[in-house]
Amino acid sequence: MRRRKARRRPRLRERYERRFFEILRELSLPLVILHFTLAAGTLGYMWLSGGDFVNSFYMTVITIGTIGFGEVVEGADTTAGRIFTTFLALGGIGVFTSTITVIARVLFKEELQNLWRRLSMMNAIEKLEGHYILAGFDEVTAELARLLERRGVPFVVLDDSQRGLARIAEQHVPYYLPEPPLEQETLQAAGIRRAAGMVVNLGDDARNISIIAVARLLRPGKEEFTIYSFASSPENAERLEELGANRAFYPGRMVAGRLAAYLFHPESDYLVALFDRLAFGEETDVDLMEVAVEEGSPWAGRAVAELRRELGANVVALRRPDGRLELDLTDEHRVKPGSRLLLFGRTSRLEKLRERLEAEHELS
Amino acid sequence: MSSRKLLTDFFILMALTTNVSFVVNPNGLELFITVVTNLAATLLKVGEGRVLSAELMATGLVADLHLIPALYFFYTGDPAESVSLAWGALAANVVSVMLVVIDTVLKSSVEEE
Repeated sequence: MRRRKARRRPRLRERYERRFFEILRELSLPLVILHFTLAAGTLGYMWLSGGDFVNSFYMTVITIGTIGFGEVVEGADTTAGRIFTTFLALGGIGVFTSTITVIARVLFKEELQNLWRRLSMMNAIEKLEGHYILAGFDEVTAELARLLERRGVPFVVLDDSQRGLARIAEQHVPYYLPEPPLEQETLQAAGIRRAAGMVVNLGDDARNISIIAVARLLRPGKEEFTIYSFASSPENAERLEELGANRAFYPGRMVAGRLAAYLFHPESDYLVALFDRLAFGEETDVDLMEVAVEEGSPWAGRAVAELRRELGANVVALRRPDGRLELDLTDEHRVKPGSRLLLFGRTSRLEKLRERLEAEHELS
Repeated sequence: MSSRKLLTDFFILMALTTNVSFVVNPNGLELFITVVTNLAATLLKVGEGRVLSAELMATGLVADLHLIPALYFFYTGDPAESVSLAWGALAANVVSVMLVVIDTVLKSSVEEE
């Protein structure tokens, strides 16, 4: 018995390319008609002139292109030649002008230009690595996109709603796909296999759950691919975390927490604002960073004062292996393996340190 | 039966046969008809939803890029060069016809599934 193969659904790029060539196909018939008109004209003048191809072709072009320099080919000034030129001009000029009109209409078609833009964007997305995918583009995600852009973190936006697309255009988002975010092929086209994580904000929990499920099919590991989701209630946030999100946020609670920090520390609002900006990536000169000191690390067993000098950043606190936070660090305090250092310093220095750590990690 | 496919296949075959004819017995009119049919086939291939569209388009363009200079050389007094270019176009046209056959077989097997 013959086995039936399931037909593969064409990928997004293939669909775009197919549509692109479908539009270009509209050019083919007018061009074929123009081509045959040119061929007929050239052949006619060749017959009249006894085989002068170059001049016959030139005569045809100047006739149907309404240039009309005169009778440049032998035999064109005879009665037969003039009758032929008359009919060629009557038919050819119409063919020529309508072909030019069709070419202009097709090439300036908005859909064709959009497809071309999307295909170029997909080429650029294919080169991205370690980027973030923002599924859904409302006011909050738009703000997040601004912060990511300011930090130079690459991201791809997925949204096919009218409002989302209008916002994308307004904000000049560099990479986006105007396709349904819930579909597997959209996530694949956004480079989910190479992405660092995803932010899910599709407006309702059911849609958020669906996209998390699809994303986890493609990237099951929570460590390698982080998913942050929005939730409509604290209870649903817990459910989303159980279903695959690394963390789910109830926006109301986040805003309330930010406001409460100001209310609870009215006397130190500069400090609260500084930490607030740091935490939300708005401070660009200084930053915070957490570094793990693993067993066998060159930093294990070293004094805090030495690490401060070597790292070029302040070790402001330390989290012990048992999870307790140690704030009163003396210069002589020795760092135990399994601890985590909380560093505070210039963003440029911390960036260099991050690169160094990544290089060391790759070497090990 | 698709009328467009019929027309395209007709021009592909016609380009091959007139190309053979020119190579065997060089004649300006035959070369001209070869160029015309070959260009028509290329234009008809634009945007065609075939399995091997890209390959067919590429072979068509290769043949065109051999035949247009061949036409120029023939009428500017170098028929030998023109014939050698036409041999190149002939190779591309043979590949084109083979691709048409493979494409038809592939398409019919996809439709059966």
